[in-house]
Amino acid sequence: MIEFHLDGRSGVAPYMQLIHQVRQALRLGLLREGDQLPKVKDVAAGLAINPNTVLKAYRELEYEGLAAARPGIGTFVTSTLGDGSLAAHEPLRRDLQRWLAKARRAGLEDESIEALFVSTFRSASEEGTA
Amino acid sequence: MIWLSWRLFRIEAAAAAAALAAFTVLLAVTGPHLASLYAASGITGCHVGSCGQLADNFLSLLGDSSIYPVVYTLGIVGIVLAPAVIGIFWGAPLLARELETGTFRLAWTQNITRARWLTVKLTLAGLAAMAATEGFSLMQAWWAAPISQAARIAPNAPAPLGFGPFNPLAFAAHGVTPLGYAAFAFILGVTVGGVLGRVIPAMAVTLVIFAAIQVAVPLWIRPNVFPPDHAMVAIGSINGSTRTNINNTFAFTVDFLPSQPGAWITSAEAVNAAGQPASSIPAACKASGPSVPHLGSCLSRQGVRIDVSYQPASRYWAFQWIETAIFIAFASALTWYCFWYLARRLS
Amino acid sequence: MTAVLEARGLGKQYGRLWALADCTLSVPAGHVVGLVGPNGAGKTTLLNLAVGLLAPTTGIIEVLSGPPLARLARIGFLAQDAPVYAGLSVAEHLALGAHLNSRWDAGLARRWIGRLNVNLDQKAGKLSAGQRAQLGLTLAMAKRPELLLLDEPVASLDPLARRAFLQDLMEAVAEQELSVVLSSHLVADLERVCDYLIVLVASQMRIAGLVEDLLVTHHLLTGPRRDPATLPAEQQVISASHTDRQSTLLVRTRRPVLDPSWVISRVGLEDLVLAYMSQAAGPARHRHLEVQK
Repeated sequence: MIEFHLDGRSGVAPYMQLIHQVRQALRLGLLREGDQLPKVKDVAAGLAINPNTVLKAYRELEYEGLAAARPGIGTFVTSTLGDGSLAAHEPLRRDLQRWLAKARRAGLEDESIEALFVSTFRSASEEGTA
Repeated sequence: MIWLSWRLFRIEAAAAAAALAAFTVLLAVTGPHLASLYAASGITGCHVGSCGQLADNFLSLLGDSSIYPVVYTLGIVGIVLAPAVIGIFWGAPLLARELETGTFRLAWTQNITRARWLTVKLTLAGLAAMAATEGFSLMQAWWAAPISQAARIAPNAPAPLGFGPFNPLAFAAHGVTPLGYAAFAFILGVTVGGVLGRVIPAMAVTLVIFAAIQVAVPLWIRPNVFPPDHAMVAIGSINGSTRTNINNTFAFTVDFLPSQPGAWITSAEAVNAAGQPASSIPAACKASGPSVPHLGSCLSRQGVRIDVSYQPASRYWAFQWIETAIFIAFASALTWYCFWYLARRLS
Repeated sequence: MTAVLEARGLGKQYGRLWALADCTLSVPAGHVVGLVGPNGAGKTTLLNLAVGLLAPTTGIIEVLSGPPLARLARIGFLAQDAPVYAGLSVAEHLALGAHLNSRWDAGLARRWIGRLNVNLDQKAGKLSAGQRAQLGLTLAMAKRPELLLLDEPVASLDPLARRAFLQDLMEAVAEQELSVVLSSHLVADLERVCDYLIVLVASQMRIAGLVEDLLVTHHLLTGPRRDPATLPAEQQVISASHTDRQSTLLVRTRRPVLDPSWVISRVGLEDLVLAYMSQAAGPARHRHLEVQK
């Protein structure tokens, strides 16, 4: 069973944070197929958030095919996110290293690189889920 | 709701019970001896002429002791003060404390109507108030029966043992009036507390209003309940005093009418031979000087008599019931107002 | 979905002062409603009207489709500062609830009181503010209400007590079919907990709606300096601030903003509420607050 946490100041909606944490857990192998997600009541009470928020996150996961609700029992993981290990994405990692080298050669400092990455990532995410 | 009312009323009830218990003990300890003294006094079965003297002797005997006047006075004063204490400590905080502490926001949002809430609280404390005060009064009256009987027929009885039934303190302490006073004082406190919304000011205002009423009623209302009876008596036949003033006027005070034992003397006017009010000392008597007995007999020879206004003892219970009814009527009106206020104004 | 709280033209006047004026709302069931506004805005007045402690001067208020006084069995109420009878113990308060209410869940009451970690015989007057608030919440919850009305329940609580209170509340909402209206002048608390928002300022309701909906229909527009009156009619300007070169407008609209000169960003709930709270009084379509920098 995983445990959720919330970053109140991250600017990301709470239900999105829950979804991300489930996906992260799936990727890291902390959640496997057939595992039960924490009960809505427990998440709401533990984090002091509206149960509808949790329900929304779980429904979204259901829609994405990652989980399924069994009425009266709970919500269960139905599939993993492909290969759970980061190692399987070695090509992506090398691409990223090359990009970083390019950014350094262009004269960008660490903070500028991070800012560039975060803003691009954010606007891309918004476009993706809008 | 009954449970809650009782739980919040526990301390006040305990205080009253303790006071009553203490008083009961006091009466129980002194009562039997009092009764035996009365039996020995010879008043029961006395011959008509000597009863007055026997009563006087009995009361003087009691008066000389230190116990009986104290216990008697304690009882009378306690009963007279009880309604005021009830109004201040039971009545005033009932609504005022709920309003001041905000607990009405807890009480009136439970599944109970405000009317039922108030009904239960008023009934519990109101009935307790009336029962306690009247119980107090009945106990004292029972204990003091020998004294009361003697005081009715004793011409020279000293206060406080010599209080006749119509004496303002005795009238308020005996009979059924304590019931009326208690009910009225209680609901007065509740009403004042509800209107003012603060406990201490409510206590003060209740005290002031109730005290004013308890002074005004015997002074201005009670004497006018029935028109008084009149008796024309000779100056020498009464127990009383004559007073002379600087501007050559005189006035009479009558303390006791032998023909009307236990009566309430409301006024005594001097009347001349022609039947008109007389107040200036006639020329013939001026020479008698300031000495009172001589003045009295001189006036008597001039034909001056005293017109005594009084309420006979037989009317005692009529006065009692009427006054009690008046207070109960006012208490009812205030109760109705409380319910109306709770429903309308406190919204 | 039935409305759990409905008001039409609701107003409450004291002397010449209107504590609440011309309030019309329809709150759907099944939500946790945040009632936000500065002190003195009328939040307590609205809640007191909803529970029958006050009678309206104008308009109507209906709770669970009926007048408040007829619904006391189905409403739970917690007043500001959680009033308790100082001389009664915690256990006696539970008895109070059991005696005065027809529906009483003694098991729930015991479970919740157990979490208080306090002696049941402790006099309620000796409890801390946080414990009093949780006792009050227990009393309101154990009568199994359909609607819970809480007046600034966490205002005087320390952060730990505040978190504990909200946790208990969310657990209750998750367990039962419960609608909640809770008022606060702190927005940060409400963000995690509320999914419906009502903003009250200076006795008037400024905006009401699902939080989801509000966040999607409000946008922060940044761009070259521009007079707000030149915007399309269906873009309602909530607040505006200008420098000599730039304008920043908070706008409410259901339609997409297509003007390319604007950079559009999201608005956080707190900023949204603050913008409404700083609006000038009175009804208007295009109201804005000019701030010269």
